Amino acid sequence: MTRDAFEALERLAGGLGTAILASMVLSLWILVAAACLVGVGLLMIPPMLALTRAVADRERGRLNRWGFEVVTPYLQQDTATGWTARMRAARRDPATFRDLRWVAAHATLGLVLGVVAVLMPTMTLRDASLPLWWGLLPPENQITSYDLPLTTYPAVLAAALAAVVVQVIAVVLASRMARLQALPGVRLLRPHPSIDLSRQVARLTATRAGALQAHAAELRRIERALHDGAQNRLVAVVVTVAVAKRALAREAASTGLALDGPRAALDEAQGAAEQAVAELRGVVRSILPPILEDRGLSGALSALAAGSAVPCALAADDLGQLPLSVETTAYFVVAEALTNVAKHSGARKALVEVRRDGGLLRVVVSDDGRGGASEAGGTGLDGIRRRVEAHDGIITLTSPLGGPTTIEVELPCGS
Amino acid sequence: MRIVIAEDDALLRRGLVLLLTGEGFEVVAAASEPDGFLAAVAEHRPDVAVVDVRMPPTHTDEGIRAAVEARRLVPDLAVLVLSAYVEQAFATNLLAEGTNGVGYLLKERVGNVEEFLDALHRVAAGGTAMDPEVIAQLFTRRHAPMERLTAREREVLALMAEGLGNTAIAQRLVVTDGGVQKHIRSIFAKLDLAPTDQVDRRVAAVLHYLES
Repeated sequence: MTRDAFEALERLAGGLGTAILASMVLSLWILVAAACLVGVGLLMIPPMLALTRAVADRERGRLNRWGFEVVTPYLQQDTATGWTARMRAARRDPATFRDLRWVAAHATLGLVLGVVAVLMPTMTLRDASLPLWWGLLPPENQITSYDLPLTTYPAVLAAALAAVVVQVIAVVLASRMARLQALPGVRLLRPHPSIDLSRQVARLTATRAGALQAHAAELRRIERALHDGAQNRLVAVVVTVAVAKRALAREAASTGLALDGPRAALDEAQGAAEQAVAELRGVVRSILPPILEDRGLSGALSALAAGSAVPCALAADDLGQLPLSVETTAYFVVAEALTNVAKHSGARKALVEVRRDGGLLRVVVSDDGRGGASEAGGTGLDGIRRRVEAHDGIITLTSPLGGPTTIEVELPCGS
Repeated sequence: MRIVIAEDDALLRRGLVLLLTGEGFEVVAAASEPDGFLAAVAEHRPDVAVVDVRMPPTHTDEGIRAAVEARRLVPDLAVLVLSAYVEQAFATNLLAEGTNGVGYLLKERVGNVEEFLDALHRVAAGGTAMDPEVIAQLFTRRHAPMERLTAREREVLALMAEGLGNTAIAQRLVVTDGGVQKHIRSIFAKLDLAPTDQVDRRVAAVLHYLES
């Protein structure tokens, strides 16, 4: 009982803090509204809106600490610049008007409740002890904390009794007062019920899908730049060096000069350029395996399974449209895992399963080998983990000594 | 030998023209995109077309489709396709129309002039030229009958699959022609293939066998 009352008092006092802020904001709004009549106030509206949001966010934080779930309702982070854009963004967002209603409610009701709750104990103490020192007061100060005149001793006793009774009632009602004080915030600072979280979720999902699509476009751009730009230039260098070598050989034959120095230099140049081309091809393959673009994930995976040194079966559902970067990661996981199987497991057969559960792509690679796989052994599992985690995916490795080994990977892939 | 080139990268196109002209070939046209290439093929009716796989507009398999189309226009045209990377589907699409006078090489092989010219001549003569990478990728697949081959026999099969004749294989492996013939007979026996003397049919048989 008393503990509840103390907690309620603490909450009411905290509410008083935000209520004071709210009342300051409310007074400012009234000033701004007045200034609007002469036009100047209009310029003040965007900063006032930002200030209102800041105070509302403070109250949200306070309510969340006390166990009310009040999530941020704003449609967009405040990125608009310029007066018109900011006004339009604010007008579009229903949370703006709900914030204002909260300011009005909290600046009045919340303030009164907070003040009463904080001041009442002091007043009760004064009134209850009044019978002891009432006679010492100068006559004009002979009133209760509630401004009632005290002229007779029985009246003083009655006032003291009343103060105690009121305080007891207040203690009993304290948690209700705290709830009442929090009510406008809980009601108005949340997203409007019609907006609800589903819209937030939809927005975040769309953002993720957009990011994945943008990533895919970027992968394609890089792949193209490497294949059609850098690689072609390097091959052109290889060919040009070859032409030079042939010319040099003819020159050597016709003049009888040895020309070994230039030939060795050209050989070296050709070797280096050829190696660069081969390395570039490897890099492109790890960024965006060309086969994915040609045959899709299922086709690419069946090529991997067919090419596996350990006989490998593939079980894949219809995977539908997947973001390219998710496909690339899944492809990389399977390729690495099958390489591991061939190198370390001693397995006789392997199985790759791929299926889609709504917004998740699940990839499982299992073998019947000797197990004991760990990420410490430099086995490429570390690389798998890094790529999977870069996509917010989860990787689970089960590999007891004696086998079997199972790598399970879950990748979020939009919906 | 009259050649038409289709290559969208200007620098590489010039390099190819320079190389082939320097080696005494007649480059009758060098196109930068499929339509121009097909027009040049129709106009000049060359002996050989050297075609890059990736060309505008989408930079995917335009070159393969242009090569197949060009062979429809000029049926006995030999085609040597240059690819930025080995893609099994490309090779398969190309070979689906027949293996006579078809080659598929990684671009950078052009730098090894002797091998490139050898491939060019082989293709022009109606043979086949397959990049060692293509063959290597095919070999990574496990086929039970393949396990029966000895290491030497697999080497011979790989070179055969590249399109080399017996003499060339013998030179590469530094053995006698007779030795190579012995290996080939043994390979055919182990793979249940009827031996024939025609190079391209051997390649076709090997490829079809490996892809099955």
